[in-house]
Amino acid sequence: MVTLVPEVVPAITASLYLPALYVAILIGFIGLTGIAIQKRDIHILILTDLVGLAMLIVVAAVGTDLAEALILPGLVVELAEIMAISEILISREMRKAENSVPKDRTITEKPSVFPLPLSLDMEIMKTAPNFIALVMILFGAFLTGFTGGAVAGGGILFYMMCKKARGLPVFVVEGIGAISGISWCLWIVGFVLFFLAPQYWLLSLFMAACGLVLKVASKLGLIGSILTEEYRRE
Amino acid sequence: MDITSLGGNLLGTIPLGDIVLYLTPFHLFMFAVVLIFTFLIAISRTETQVEAEFGTLKENKVSIGLAEFKVRRFLAIICGLATAGAMITGDLFNLTLFIALIGIVNVGIVSAVKQVDVLDAAYQYGIMAMISSLPLFGGASIILAATGTLSLFVISGLVATPMMIFGAILLLIGVAGETGIAPFFATKAEMFRTPGSPFLLIIHLSSLMVIIRVIEVLLIIVT
Repeated sequence: MVTLVPEVVPAITASLYLPALYVAILIGFIGLTGIAIQKRDIHILILTDLVGLAMLIVVAAVGTDLAEALILPGLVVELAEIMAISEILISREMRKAENSVPKDRTITEKPSVFPLPLSLDMEIMKTAPNFIALVMILFGAFLTGFTGGAVAGGGILFYMMCKKARGLPVFVVEGIGAISGISWCLWIVGFVLFFLAPQYWLLSLFMAACGLVLKVASKLGLIGSILTEEYRRE
Repeated sequence: MDITSLGGNLLGTIPLGDIVLYLTPFHLFMFAVVLIFTFLIAISRTETQVEAEFGTLKENKVSIGLAEFKVRRFLAIICGLATAGAMITGDLFNLTLFIALIGIVNVGIVSAVKQVDVLDAAYQYGIMAMISSLPLFGGASIILAATGTLSLFVISGLVATPMMIFGAILLLIGVAGETGIAPFFATKAEMFRTPGSPFLLIIHLSSLMVIIRVIEVLLIIVT
């Protein structure tokens, strides 16, 4: 027989599992009710994400290492699905708009979402992009790991969106991609070193952490450098 | 239930720490079938769909461009590999992830179609797949909470508790929604009107094979 809860875990932590499960089921139920009531596609999509968050709560309620290993793929699956479905939604609405009757007739079915070019006009994007991007990159480098990479990448993304980086030369994009690939290798090598030579754990930890921070940051930056073309299209 | 009475003789185990993978003739046979089918899809070149027209004896040919065809064939191969992985894995966690991957890729295969009806159906199916990730991952994590492990080899030796049965039921609901079988099939039916037949066959085949495998897994957990 397996002992489910180790001795070191306090009783109150172990007793939190059932309330968390009930909360998650309740959230899922509320989300599904909302989906049943709502009629607009975009609202249904957003409410579906709420149900996905309830899934994350169910997984997180377990609170072990294995559950933590389940959360990240669950989050990624959730993100991938919502991106895919929203792309489908946009492409469907564009196709509907193409096929719709001319404007002098009565339009029977209005499109649910309007795919518009994104125009961000905020004060902070003109006055302090350098400072905020620098702070985010420094903070990301301080954090290291996946979170730090995400923060630093967010900084790069913010800078690129503010500075209207348009028409980036190909070698810049490819260079960012190369950094991403090389740092991925650094991460993998760090992990392998963990298993092969555990006495060098500090070195492999730093290799993995730095590889991951570079990888995530450059990947987000890469997304930014591609997307700025789309964002700036008026 | 004992795994050897479900899948035949135990050919061997692959111990990876806590997670112990195991091989039986049943799994290897299904794995080989899916891989052969995926190979057939990878080498086939059927991008034209012939539709019978209603009311006449004529037929209507719909074909798609090579660029779109390539993307969809790639996604179909990914779907085949994910199905093959779901056949052979002995780990509930990997099974869950493979099934979620099949759900996403099925949406992706039809997403490049230029017909509003098909896109509508793909949207509905995608919503269903996203909602059913709650029972899918939730069921897996409830079984993890009830047994402390995700290895089917270990779970098969445990006596079923009500919580494990609840998790198994949730898992079944999740798989049904994710692969679009019987109660949710209506969301998927319109998707089959898209041109490019082998891709649709992989959608069918993946849901068929996965449901056989999941029933085996549920029998292991529950009995």
